[in-house]
Amino acid sequence: MTNMNFREKLFHYEAPPPPDAWEGISRRLGATRRSFRLYWYAGAAAASVLIIAGGFLLLGKSSGGAGSVARVQGASLPGRVRDSINANNRILRHIITTSADKDLLALNYEYASRGRKYLTVAGPDGKPVKISPKAATLIESADNEFPPRPVWNKKVDKWQQIMLSSTLSPTSTGLLRIIQPSLPNESE
Amino acid sequence: MPSESDLIKGCLEQDRGMQELLYKMYASKMYGVCLRYSGNAEDAGDLLQEGFIKVFNNLSKFRGEGSFEGWIRRIFVNTSIEHFRKKNQLYRLTEVQENTVEDTDIDAFNSLAVKDILALIQGLSPGYKAVFNLYVVEGYSHKEIAGMLGITEGTSKSQLARAKGVLKKALEAAAAGTGKKNPNE
Repeated sequence: MTNMNFREKLFHYEAPPPPDAWEGISRRLGATRRSFRLYWYAGAAAASVLIIAGGFLLLGKSSGGAGSVARVQGASLPGRVRDSINANNRILRHIITTSADKDLLALNYEYASRGRKYLTVAGPDGKPVKISPKAATLIESADNEFPPRPVWNKKVDKWQQIMLSSTLSPTSTGLLRIIQPSLPNESE
Repeated sequence: MPSESDLIKGCLEQDRGMQELLYKMYASKMYGVCLRYSGNAEDAGDLLQEGFIKVFNNLSKFRGEGSFEGWIRRIFVNTSIEHFRKKNQLYRLTEVQENTVEDTDIDAFNSLAVKDILALIQGLSPGYKAVFNLYVVEGYSHKEIAGMLGITEGTSKSQLARAKGVLKKALEAAAAGTGKKNPNE
């Protein structure tokens, strides 16, 4: 019992803490919160980038270039800019859907790449329209589609077809063909 | 004065005023714990800060089972033990079974003032101090202490017996008027 006394004395012993202890704790708590906030901002920024990138990928996949042209038209742009875009689209549509002008483009493209900045072609109502070589390649690859799909979309589609046709992942038919070489080929 | 639940809620909401209030309520008691486990006031101050940071960061884990003060105290004891374990390479407890060490009666401590007892305990080597505090003051079993400190039960027992022996010698020396400041000497 007497032993308990001295044990209790020690157990309940209190002493005034150093005067600057709370200041140190408060500072460290602030630092912890700041670092949490920093991690949160970094995480939010990373998530935003992923969402935006994912959005672009999904939109590009679902609607190609056509959708993006349409969105530019619908966006909250100043009236003057929107009018200009609409006029360009109207001209481009005319050129793409007129086979004669496209032939002209194909003929002149070679000359354009030798230093000429623009090609001049007939636009709507016969008015002359200047087209840059880059725009010319876009129009050439448009295949009468308006708005034209960007060249890269076509290239990506082509690669996708190549990869799908030569995939190494096993399918049920492919596996059977490995086991039984006599099995007729699907395409045959 | 807010209730305990309001205080905890405020601290969980990172209310700095509530955090300071909680600190003020328990700082003296917990500093007493830190002083028992550390060798000096400077180390005790570091343990105090470390302990309260853990309390605030882990407050959401308090389920209301048992007293809040008991929960805080356990955090401080664990923080002190963690500190001890970090320095274990230096302190290195003797991992030899010493069954022959006799238990020493230290009831004479009851007649001393708590500050004097504390001064004697602070003078113990870190290993002796940790085992003495955990067994005698906190009431942990040798099995629990062995788990906490990463030693065997036998080592815990022998460390305690040796700690008591050192303390008794220091007490006797003090009573004879030839008291040494450091009881390990």
